[in-house]
Amino acid sequence: MGSEARKRSREKLKEQREKEKRAARRKKNLLVVGIAAAVVLLIVGIGYAVMTSGEDEGYDGELAAQVLQEDGSVVMADEGVSAPVVEVYADYQCPACRQFELLNGDLLKARAASGEAIVQFRPVSIFAQQPTPISGNSLRGGAAARAAADHGVFVEYNDLLFENQPAEGREGFTVDELKEWFRQTDADEAQASEFDERVDAEAEVVTEFTEEFLPALTADATEQIGEETLGTMVLTDLLAWGADNGHDPAFLDGTYTGEIIDATGTAYTRYSGDNMFRGTPAVYINGELLDNNSAMTARGLSEAIASAGAGEVETEPAADGGDAE
Amino acid sequence: MTDTIDDTPKTPTRWETIQPWVGLACRLGLAAVLITAAVTKYPPALSIQAVEAYDLFPTEVARLIGYTLPLFELALALLLLLGLATRYAGAIGAILMVAFIAGIVSAMVRGLSIDCGCFGGGGQVDPGETTYGLSIARDIAFGAMGAFIAIWPRSPFALDRVLGLYR
Repeated sequence: MGSEARKRSREKLKEQREKEKRAARRKKNLLVVGIAAAVVLLIVGIGYAVMTSGEDEGYDGELAAQVLQEDGSVVMADEGVSAPVVEVYADYQCPACRQFELLNGDLLKARAASGEAIVQFRPVSIFAQQPTPISGNSLRGGAAARAAADHGVFVEYNDLLFENQPAEGREGFTVDELKEWFRQTDADEAQASEFDERVDAEAEVVTEFTEEFLPALTADATEQIGEETLGTMVLTDLLAWGADNGHDPAFLDGTYTGEIIDATGTAYTRYSGDNMFRGTPAVYINGELLDNNSAMTARGLSEAIASAGAGEVETEPAADGGDAE
Repeated sequence: MTDTIDDTPKTPTRWETIQPWVGLACRLGLAAVLITAAVTKYPPALSIQAVEAYDLFPTEVARLIGYTLPLFELALALLLLLGLATRYAGAIGAILMVAFIAGIVSAMVRGLSIDCGCFGGGGQVDPGETTYGLSIARDIAFGAMGAFIAIWPRSPFALDRVLGLYR
């Protein structure tokens, strides 16, 4: 009997010890998971704070003066300012351009307002030869921004276009939307009706260009000069070839659609070497192309501007102060 | 003195010898993958763009993911390298891969033609240039590594051992 009781108590003791062991292991497990979770939170939290530091200063102050240039670009700087020239090439349908604008748009406004930078917006359409609706969106957006520049509200309108950028491949920047967004700037009714007229006219040009003119021209060119050569040509070269080969691009003359196509061609030929314009967004300070780490981070852009000397705007203001017709 | 029965040394089976080393290889491999994925996503503005291309999240959420996903990948890689909370790090790695696969499949099903943005890049590509199959296959392999670690967390050179886990 005695041995039976001893055995039972020994088993009980063993069970008890097992239980304690399990509890200890559970506790250890919990501790380790807790430490690990803290490590993760720390890395994510600190990393997020570091990366977003200096970029959240939204800018709501007065904008620097906006001056439309002969080539359709817009210079944002107050008169007589001596500062680095920051040129921003962007396509309104380009998602990375949208990210640039969301990230650094306010920083540029602030630097221009404080006289620390001369900002030159250079809308282009690198997507003009993409299939519709990408090409149409890109060109309609660009032409509408140019029309907004006629009324001195380019910068505000530029913001609205990027905020409302359609997903690539999706129909967007419709004529009605473009008109509605213009009314969200401080433009008055008279300006709005002028803007509407222009946007309607441009939309027709864009449709003709993307749906009739360009497909026919491309098909012809593919046949006559081959797909390979065609792939190396920028759109303006292709248009020049078309003009000599029965595709008269005269309907683009005097349109903002034509102007943005020209501006894009100019961008491709303007720079050489490391500064070559290859796509958007492209940010140049005094003619030097910034790399992604500088252009696409708030700190990078801020430092690049701060460390650059004064530059010269290379374009002339539009003769009539903007009311090009 | 009563514990002697439990502690009798047994000759380890082949599996018991190999498993910790396979586990270590999985830890290091998955960590390397995660670090590469995190680093190539810099700068965050472009990683946000890659997230937006999936067209699944509102702007603010996409922004948050664009910033924090690479950081989370880094943190997870660090846990795997250290061998801290190995089992959970492996499981979360595997779950992360399943989430990525779900995202890619959803892009595929909706007829989007985007780059997965797994290792930088991202955004639209020509319809003929999508590599959904490859991306999914890759993620399955990475997910399997995570699952292995989660199932057999015992491996050498791990903080967990120092702390008394998975000895």
